[in-house]
Amino acid sequence: MSWIAGELNREQIIARAPAIGGHFQRLYASFYQLSQIPPEVVELCRLRLAQLHRSEADLALEEYLLAADKREQLHNWHSVAAFSPAERACLELTEVHAMDCSAITDAQADAVKEYFGEAGLVALLQALGVFDGFIRLGLIWQAAPVGGKHHD
Amino acid sequence: MTSGARVSSPGGNTGNVIRDSALGIVPETLEHYLALNAAIWDAGPLGAAEIELARLRNARHTGCVLCQAVRYDVAVADGLSEDKVQLIRDDDVSGGLSERERLMLAFVDQYNVNPAGISEALQQALLAAFTKDELLHLSLLVAWFNGSSRCAVALGGMPVEMPRMEISVPR
Repeated sequence: MSWIAGELNREQIIARAPAIGGHFQRLYASFYQLSQIPPEVVELCRLRLAQLHRSEADLALEEYLLAADKREQLHNWHSVAAFSPAERACLELTEVHAMDCSAITDAQADAVKEYFGEAGLVALLQALGVFDGFIRLGLIWQAAPVGGKHHD
Repeated sequence: MTSGARVSSPGGNTGNVIRDSALGIVPETLEHYLALNAAIWDAGPLGAAEIELARLRNARHTGCVLCQAVRYDVAVADGLSEDKVQLIRDDDVSGGLSERERLMLAFVDQYNVNPAGISEALQQALLAAFTKDELLHLSLLVAWFNGSSRCAVALGGMPVEMPRMEISVPR
């Protein structure tokens, strides 16, 4: 149970401030509609953030349908062949972003730009910031997430 | 740390600091970004000076030099003083701030350092000092500014220091 709103889940709590939360939800959803980065890659990065935050509830969410082996092997993405070079570039950026965004190197940023362009790098960094925020909100509110189900 | 910006800005000069920044090159997110940023300032129960205190404390955590240099004019008009801004730059915020302000900063610190570890004592103190709508506003604004501040840092080109500059909320 959440100390801030009882039985409500994270998305229901956000919805209690519709003038702000509605924009937040629409921004979140927009990351699965990008022309620069496929939604599969966006979802992999969201799930990796959930792993790094140790948020089992966010990890259990399925915002975009992925191949089962990728979900299962995500924690070992460094050594599993199923992950493409483009996915690896984004996952590496995601990991450094989660630990210390100022520690991202030019080479790591360039690797993402190589596959997804400058707009792709900006979009990914925006998405990471918002995903990180939603995960942290769920953790600090102690409210389970239910997600937006963007694979419908 | 990079010495230069990693992304080009769109090259326009609309006068809107978000639209003219690197964020302007992602059309799918730009309008949502602008609308959310404006709503954070306009559509919640906390006043601009309190929003700014939380924003600046968050910027200290993310290390965003630009975010720390900016003062929003609405916050200054709402009574935010530079003396107070100096107080929140310290690790120890026990002096010179109200209990409500100290709790607000404690929430920002908890969000940044260990969101899952919030104590029952802090939960109860926050519930006693703020309405639930205020706590929701505080939470959402910290999440917003934290994410956008991280984005600004990661895009590179951040100077080592910047002078204080007062701006309006981009709309």
